Amino acid sequence: MNMLLEADHVKKTYRLGRVDVPVLRGASITVGEGEWVAIVGSSGSGKSTLLHLLGGLDRADADSGPVRFGGEELNRFGARRENRYRNRDVGFVFQFYHLLPELTVLENAMLPALVGLSRLRWISERSALRKRAAELLETCGLSHRLGHRPAELSGGERQRVAIARALINRPRVLLADEPTGNLDIHTGGGILDLLAERHAAGLTMVMVTHDAAVAARAQRQVRIVDGRVQ
Amino acid sequence: MYAPLLANRYLTSRIIPFIAVAAVALCVALVIVVVSVMSGFLEMVRASGKTMTGDVVVTRPITGIPYYQDLIKEIESLPEAAAASPIVETFGLLQMQYGTGDGGKQIEMVEVWGIDPASLDRVADYSRKLYWSRPADAALAAMAPDDPLRNPFYHREADGMRLATADGRPGLVLGIEISPFNRRGRDGAYRTSQAPGAPQDADYFMPNAGKVILTLVPVSEGGSLGGERKRDFTVVNEFQSGLFQIDANRILLPLPVAQEMLRLDAAPMVSRTEFDEDGRPKVIGETPGRATTIVVRARPGVAAPALRDAVRGAYARFHERISLDRSMPVNPPFPDLVSIETWEERLSDFIGPVEKERELMRTLFSIVYIVCAGLVLAIFWSIVQEKTRDIGILRAVGASRTGVLWIFLRYGLLIGIAGSIVGVLLAWAIIARINDIHNLLGTAAPAWLRILAWVATAAMLGLTVRGTLRASALHVVLWGFGTAAMAVVSVVLLHHEGFLIWDPSVYYFSRIPDSLDWHTAWTTMAGGIVFSVIGASVPAARAADTDPVKSLRYE
Ligand SMILES: Nc1ncnc2c1ncn2[C@@H]1O[C@H](COP(=O)(O)OP(=O)(O)O)[C@@H](O)[C@H]1O
Ligand SMILES: [Mg+2]
Repeated sequence: MNMLLEADHVKKTYRLGRVDVPVLRGASITVGEGEWVAIVGSSGSGKSTLLHLLGGLDRADADSGPVRFGGEELNRFGARRENRYRNRDVGFVFQFYHLLPELTVLENAMLPALVGLSRLRWISERSALRKRAAELLETCGLSHRLGHRPAELSGGERQRVAIARALINRPRVLLADEPTGNLDIHTGGGILDLLAERHAAGLTMVMVTHDAAVAARAQRQVRIVDGRVQ
Repeated sequence: MYAPLLANRYLTSRIIPFIAVAAVALCVALVIVVVSVMSGFLEMVRASGKTMTGDVVVTRPITGIPYYQDLIKEIESLPEAAAASPIVETFGLLQMQYGTGDGGKQIEMVEVWGIDPASLDRVADYSRKLYWSRPADAALAAMAPDDPLRNPFYHREADGMRLATADGRPGLVLGIEISPFNRRGRDGAYRTSQAPGAPQDADYFMPNAGKVILTLVPVSEGGSLGGERKRDFTVVNEFQSGLFQIDANRILLPLPVAQEMLRLDAAPMVSRTEFDEDGRPKVIGETPGRATTIVVRARPGVAAPALRDAVRGAYARFHERISLDRSMPVNPPFPDLVSIETWEERLSDFIGPVEKERELMRTLFSIVYIVCAGLVLAIFWSIVQEKTRDIGILRAVGASRTGVLWIFLRYGLLIGIAGSIVGVLLAWAIIARINDIHNLLGTAAPAWLRILAWVATAAMLGLTVRGTLRASALHVVLWGFGTAAMAVVSVVLLHHEGFLIWDPSVYYFSRIPDSLDWHTAWTTMAGGIVFSVIGASVPAARAADTDPVKSLRYE
């Protein structure tokens, strides 16, 4: 199995006033291509922090080990490469959906594609992109909601839009932070089914959860304790 | 590609941008309206400062310039000069009789101009300043039905041009503000107390051609006062220069009459030592008539200072020629003793303060600009604050800093453009109607408006009560404020007798300048846009620096 994403003894310390709060103290994780890994741990153990480092949303400490994506070191990324990494190489799903309230469901799903395209390419690829976003939303069970605003959707529906958004640019890995954390068991189960479908179709996934039942859906679980992965 | 989409969405799907557009529009309109009125005012001051003085004025007060006819010929032969006209200037007492008896006597101190109407018309368009003349057709159509000027009986331009009655008695033309009983209305428009067709009432001068008594005191070359001269005149017309100070102080009479009353006319010159057979002093020549002032008009395209220099040259030549001519026994004053100035120089004490005032206004308005920029900045700051999470999302899906910056710059640009356009339109609407608005404020509110205000108050009270019944705090607050405001408006309307803001006796002009200063409009518009973008750029830069993780961590 090919290694896709790897954190090697990463450290992350937050400063709270004058006090240094070490959250990750040398955590290591490897994610192979096509794998579905669940990161578990108690609340506040640093699961989200690790996921943010993997997704290039945050930078590790200066004395930290590297985070690698397909052999490239994230720490060495310049601003452009970092933006492209966030835009094309990974897809992010958050616990609180984080959709843009002014945009419709379809526009929210297309957002990363819009961000990645120049005006010229947008003009030439617009209709193909719309079609793809609509199809993606359909596979997420939202074909009847394309023109709605996020405020008009239920929590489960919003999370489906967020998943469609994370997948629009065909990322090589999906990073999900408590994707069911804000949903009831039934709705959350639907979301997990959707993720399982994508995994079956070949998508690599890293999922953070504190819920053992949710983590059980993944192929493999890693546990963060005391800032390290056990 | 997301920047335009988001900028447009942010603009159309919330209320804050409309407040921002309104703020920009109001600032822009405010600046344009005030500067336009101010510039218009200054223009009117300058234009009317020229009224009746031409471009260059030659003066030698009291004793005047002898052989002024020769000087005028000399000046009119200049290529720079179009025409010149002689004037005798002095002060006098004007006694106006209203009704019969001493109780109706009104004595005013006035500035007296003896003029030659025909040449003054060539220099300063005198005929167009006459008030009782036939107005242009368009102006006539716009007049109120009871306006005396609609009545051909009062079109007396011929009398004004003759400065005499039809049967040849010498006439006076008064500044339109001189007679205290021919008054301006609250709207600033001049009306006599007479309606056309009403029985003629001799109590009022115009348009009834009343009689007045003018007293002048001649001053000799030695500086001693002669006995006062009193004479009856018939008021044949009134003039309106547009400049209140002139209209309220100046009267015009025929030049020969003024010369005669002031002993500035041609007279036999007698010897002190030789006597003729009858024992009377022997006539040895003639002293020439004099004028204290010569007003000169420049040819089109000639600047006043150029004409002034040419006139100075002409005067020097005139002085030399007369002084050397033995047949002319009286010498004109030395060139140094004669003031030869452009109209602007002559009015500098008057124009100067207004120009200073405009500078002050400009300075004050640069503060308004800063206030506008601060306002836009505050509004954008709150917009960006509210959008931090969205920005975090955009950054998390790979939007660049410049991309995020561009969203808000573009947003500021759109608000600036929309606000500036609305502001210019608003300013234009206000300026075009400013005199109507002023008149509206100047008259008591009509009954229907008062009733409407009370009805509106009652309606809002009803909505407030409904809000209370439906337990809607927002409705209670909004309509409650509305009710209070409408109640205040209603009470004010009830007691409003109209007030005059633009007092013609203070501002010199009867109308508020009502033309939009387009130069100011364009620069203010550009300023509004630039300041909106500047106001947006600071919060936009802050937005671009947003850390995606921090802004997304908590709901
Ligand atoms: N920006 C921050 N500043 C200071 N402390 C932080 C910050 N972000 C997270 N933390 C702290 O880091 C720890 C780990 O947080 P997180 O990774 O969100 O935990 P988890 O996702 O496992 O619940 C928590 O104690 C949290 O309070
Ligand atoms: Mg977490």
